[in-house]
Amino acid sequence: MPLPQGSARARQRTVLLVGIAVLLAALVLAVVLASLLTHGRHEVSPQMLKWKDRGTTKNLQEVILGRCYNYITAQHPELGDKDCLKIWESLKDAFIYKNPCNITPEDYQPLMELASHPVPCNKSLFWSKTGDLAHRYTKSNQNFLTLEDTLLGYMADKVSWCGDPSAPGINYESCPKRSECESNPGSVFWKMASKMFAEAACGVVQVMLNGSVEAGAFRSSSIFGSVEVFNLDPDKVSEVHIWLMQDIGGPQSESCSGHSIQRLISILEERKFKIICEDNYRPVQLLQCVHNPDHTDCRLCTNST
Amino acid sequence: KWKGEGTTQNLESIVIGRCYDYIRIVNPAVGEKNCSQIWEAFKNAFINKDPCSILPKDYELFINFTLHTIPPNKSLFWENNQLLVNSFADRGRRYMSLGDTLFGFVGDFLYWCGQADSPGLDYESCPTTVECENNAVDSFWRMASITYAQHSSGVIHVLLNGSADGGAYPQPGFFADYEIPNLQRDKISQIVIWVVDDIEGPDIDSCGAHTVKTLETRLKTLGYDVTCTDNNK
Repeated sequence: MPLPQGSARARQRTVLLVGIAVLLAALVLAVVLASLLTHGRHEVSPQMLKWKDRGTTKNLQEVILGRCYNYITAQHPELGDKDCLKIWESLKDAFIYKNPCNITPEDYQPLMELASHPVPCNKSLFWSKTGDLAHRYTKSNQNFLTLEDTLLGYMADKVSWCGDPSAPGINYESCPKRSECESNPGSVFWKMASKMFAEAACGVVQVMLNGSVEAGAFRSSSIFGSVEVFNLDPDKVSEVHIWLMQDIGGPQSESCSGHSIQRLISILEERKFKIICEDNYRPVQLLQCVHNPDHTDCRLCTNST
Repeated sequence: KWKGEGTTQNLESIVIGRCYDYIRIVNPAVGEKNCSQIWEAFKNAFINKDPCSILPKDYELFINFTLHTIPPNKSLFWENNQLLVNSFADRGRRYMSLGDTLFGFVGDFLYWCGQADSPGLDYESCPTTVECENNAVDSFWRMASITYAQHSSGVIHVLLNGSADGGAYPQPGFFADYEIPNLQRDKISQIVIWVVDDIEGPDIDSCGAHTVKTLETRLKTLGYDVTCTDNNK
């Protein structure tokens, strides 16, 4: 570099400038090296953990809030004192910014308290491997309620969510499957909500099971078999009615006399419940017949109008 | 002031929430929609206006934003049997009734109206059809029905209530006045009418009789291939 003034001060300034330039170059080099080394994880959220199940539902807040207001305003005005904004906040706080494999029931306690409501006696309908059919039934017969017909279940049905320690705290790309870790936001939520739904049941309760499933209609590993059965309160629940539904024209893997049903009955009897089991409970079977009207099982009585 | 129910509380949250519920969960096949924009278009149809002066075309922009294809052979029209239709249509999986489209889904079972010279919604009361025809809710459903009919194709189904007072095919009625006139004849291959009586209900109307006969004649005159069945299994 030319030094027109040859004074010491000018030389000092030049050294300073050169020093700064070298520092800047080193910085740029470091940044380039760092980005090259982390190249594989350079996506939208470079630091978020990656999982195998679908991510948080987009517009989760709008969906949850809308469903909450829809439920208490348009469908169940007797729950008018519920605060949907608080309910949303308590759901969000349960999982945002947390590692999605470390969720505990305590995380959901505030939400459960804010959103739970009593269920009238004789109306609780439990289900296992018959979700679609059970919900079609409660839609057409409002005398029964599944968990997904209560405020908590209604808001969360078919929705997924999980957090991540890095910003923005919600993972929209992926969420852990149960096989990856059990204490994930979805599994913990449904386990808790199911427990509370069972605890709240009173009078006669109903359960719809699938008699066309190879692995057996009643399984101890299902939420019904592991959580709900054991949280029914014998002081409140008098009877359990089992509706054993087989697919129309489908395999008749099990009926009320079947192995797993006998096991369920003995578990329930031990807890002092009276049990009634019915194969292909007719009102529900009629719903199945909508999709199979020509099957012999679906023929109507000839002496009706 | 008016005789009808006032605007549903939290209407905005419900409408926006249902919009996202529909595009994210119920029917993601419709693709990306701007739900805030949809709410604005919906609201602007009726706020700051005399609540008796709302016309179907005021909802045009709302319809533009919410329109999507209705799969051929899945349209299900109905009169006087909404719960039956919902359970039969299976939330769009078997049939797609008006309530299973995005534009119908966001408005179902809700009430709303505005007031002249004020941007607010009237939560106290809203006019009934008897008080004035051109109210916000009725005009909404007229526009939605017109749109639904215009975009239906293939085999279309009509579910009528054979036990309804006054007949299965009501006139005046949405199907008679807004849907039939807007069916696109060149897109429709057949019209299948089902007349279903309430269980243990009276058999007031059936195929070939009274109002159903009127309907069948009208549709045949318009050039449609029509079939009719009583008490669908």
